[in-house]
Amino acid sequence: MDDFERDLSRLMRDTRQHTPYEAEHRQRLHAGIRARRRARMLWKAGGSAVAVAGISVGLALLPGLLTRAQPPADHRPQPSTSPTVQVDTTPTTDAPDPSPTPTRPESTAPATTGGVTPSGTTSAPSDPTPSATPSTSRSTSAPPTPPPSPTPTTVPPSVLESEEPSASASIE
Amino acid sequence: MEQIRGADGFDEFAAARWSALLHVARLLTGGDRQRAEDLVQEALVKLWFAWPKVAEQAPEAYVRTVLVRLAARSARRRWWGERPVEQLPDRADPGDMSSAVAERSRLEAALALLSPKQRAAVVLRYYEDLPEAQVAQALGCPVGTARSHASRGVARLRQLLSDAVRPVG
Repeated sequence: MDDFERDLSRLMRDTRQHTPYEAEHRQRLHAGIRARRRARMLWKAGGSAVAVAGISVGLALLPGLLTRAQPPADHRPQPSTSPTVQVDTTPTTDAPDPSPTPTRPESTAPATTGGVTPSGTTSAPSDPTPSATPSTSRSTSAPPTPPPSPTPTTVPPSVLESEEPSASASIE
Repeated sequence: MEQIRGADGFDEFAAARWSALLHVARLLTGGDRQRAEDLVQEALVKLWFAWPKVAEQAPEAYVRTVLVRLAARSARRRWWGERPVEQLPDRADPGDMSSAVAERSRLEAALALLSPKQRAAVVLRYYEDLPEAQVAQALGCPVGTARSHASRGVARLRQLLSDAVRPVG
């Protein structure tokens, strides 16, 4: 610290004036504190009101969002059954091995249903088509039908019903 | 008159430190008494809300930091500039100009020509005798920057005050 800095320090201290803390200052300070406290309370009240409004809007919208989310959940199980169909049909396709296109297994499917018709009446409505298919179905399904008919026939009908649209479309 | 409650010892602190705080604020504002009073009051209002946390620790340091930052902020506001008034404020007669008043006026006029950061650094370093680390903390900047502000401020004051005492002609 050089001479100038010492002088500067002394000058700053020497020029200090004593100013008493008067009642006027005190009142003004307290008024400032009250105003500030009021402003803070208003801000807090406004903030909490906005928070409550936001939460209530959120709660009001939440059920609507949940109900919208449900329909896709209902649709999903349907496609999930179709893969099981493929698993079930693979054994059947193994027998008529040369199935390059899905049309052939479909042609065999009616044959199995045709064999089941006595037990299941649901296959009767699909009978109009068998008139065209019986010749092929009988020729191909004659050897394998006896063993698989008890177990797989019960599962495929419902499954084949789901695939029917594509099968009937291809046939038609 | 409604009393403000919830801050034991605050009034005593304000009464004890009012004069010193006002002098610091006056140095920080370059001699503007009205603005200095406003700054001290605003700093004390802020202190009142922080009083429960600060009272047992260092209320003086807290209010000093608030004061420095308020002074720097208020210096950036345009409306602190000169405003036209209908009547000129009272001025001291030439006969009243004692040497102490003249020195103070000279110092305040020189301080007013510094930048707010330089002024704050010089006041905290040479009036409050704070170490550089505390000056930097109050200014909210690195120690090197605070040191730079202080040294540049002193250099500028050296030039201004030597010009002021230089004999004319």
